[in-house]
Amino acid sequence: MTSPGGREIARVRAAVSDVVEQVFGTVAQVHAAVRRPAARDGLHTGGTVLDHDVRELLHAPGQLAVGLGLVVAPRPDEELPLRLEWWQLDPGGGPLRSLEPDLRPTSLGYYDYTATEWFDVPRRTGRRHVVGPYVDVHGTGRYLLTLTEPVVVDGEFVGVVGADVSVRRFENHLLALLGGLPAPFVLLNDEDRVVLSTAPRRLVGSLLPRGADPLGAGAGVPGVPWRLHLVGDATLLRA
Amino acid sequence: MQLLSGDARRAVFSPLDDGALRSEAVVRRVGSAIALGLLGDGEQLPPEADLATMLNVSTMTLREALAELRKLGLVVTRRGRGGGSFVRARDDVLGELADARLAELGTTDLRELGDVHGAVSAAAARLAAGRASRTEIARLRDIVDRLAIADSVTGQRRAEGRYFIELAACAQSVRLTMQVMDLHLELGQLPWPPASDPGLLDVMVAGHRAVVDAIEDRDGGLARRLTEEHIETRTLWSIELRLRAGGDGAVAAREVS
Repeated sequence: MTSPGGREIARVRAAVSDVVEQVFGTVAQVHAAVRRPAARDGLHTGGTVLDHDVRELLHAPGQLAVGLGLVVAPRPDEELPLRLEWWQLDPGGGPLRSLEPDLRPTSLGYYDYTATEWFDVPRRTGRRHVVGPYVDVHGTGRYLLTLTEPVVVDGEFVGVVGADVSVRRFENHLLALLGGLPAPFVLLNDEDRVVLSTAPRRLVGSLLPRGADPLGAGAGVPGVPWRLHLVGDATLLRA
Repeated sequence: MQLLSGDARRAVFSPLDDGALRSEAVVRRVGSAIALGLLGDGEQLPPEADLATMLNVSTMTLREALAELRKLGLVVTRRGRGGGSFVRARDDVLGELADARLAELGTTDLRELGDVHGAVSAAAARLAAGRASRTEIARLRDIVDRLAIADSVTGQRRAEGRYFIELAACAQSVRLTMQVMDLHLELGQLPWPPASDPGLLDVMVAGHRAVVDAIEDRDGGLARRLTEEHIETRTLWSIELRLRAGGDGAVAAREVS
């Protein structure tokens, strides 16, 4: 691709791919912490798994994640219920907070994480996954991208490790990185949902309208089921 | 105790801002949280001082509210080590509380509540038609199926609340989702119409299924209109229940599951 649009697309997809790999790098550190011998005991006994220092990854320079941790697969036979060890940045700049969602099925606020895509897809496929943008209803209550990978111990799926990136942070970071207003493009996920857009009519979170002009094949982003498309939308503001 | 940080919990323990009669407002808030399962049977409430701060009421007001909740039998207090205030989920008491609340309200209050519920939910339905993925649509259907087979008033209330909350989440909007949660804490203070007329549950289920069909067809205009009409009908049920109660608050033929 040597056209100006082609160069623009190459630049954007490299930037997006870097962000995704950076966050998965953090997830890999959480994963390594789960594999320490003491942590593996916690998985079997229902005790604490992650070391105190894991949460400090959220304070690493240049960190994009707003939350991270481990979400454990329940094992009802062994009376090991739903549980998670997840920390979040406080939006007000206060100390890190652990996420304590409502895990009782009889509650209006029941956080049934085993049914979420970020848990279920790595469980089924054995591979890492990126979900979003979505409203993490009953969980963090935030608008997120969630990146997860399965944790398998002795051939058995025991849960997922992952990180949340707020949609706002993701957008701010990439827009700043790309500088100015790049040629209008949309980044779509595997549901045809807009993840990032520099075309004002293509709202983040919306689905590609059915029956709209096709955007063509687009350019895949390495390592994530997303595609980038240049769009020919006219601007809305005249000045 | 560790306080849960789910969104719906946030709504339960958020500051009260309705001014007068604050201890009664605390009683109502706790009552609806129990009715929706947000506070479970046997669950311990936060210490008095913390609870007072969260709800933005004085310790005195909070103590009045707890005394009333104890009198109603929705809270028991144990002294000494491991003591504190614990929730008792009693459907009969919740039903009486809801009837009493209905009798306090005017039909215009019910219309106002329905107007806001309709505005928020109809907007969410329209947006969801352009934003809900296949997975999310399947989840909405699953919730409506659960509503159809729920056999207790609390089970039905909960499934119904989850339907509207999920609808707002399908609109990809955190703000609409929070609004719907707050509204459901208020709606949870009122009688559940199918408790008086079980056939109304079928009307609700059919209404929600029609909206999900419209969302699946990505017909935002239809999803909005159907949601508006459905909630208008519901408002009329509440108003009729209120009018039947007359001046003394006794709703005819109420059943508590």
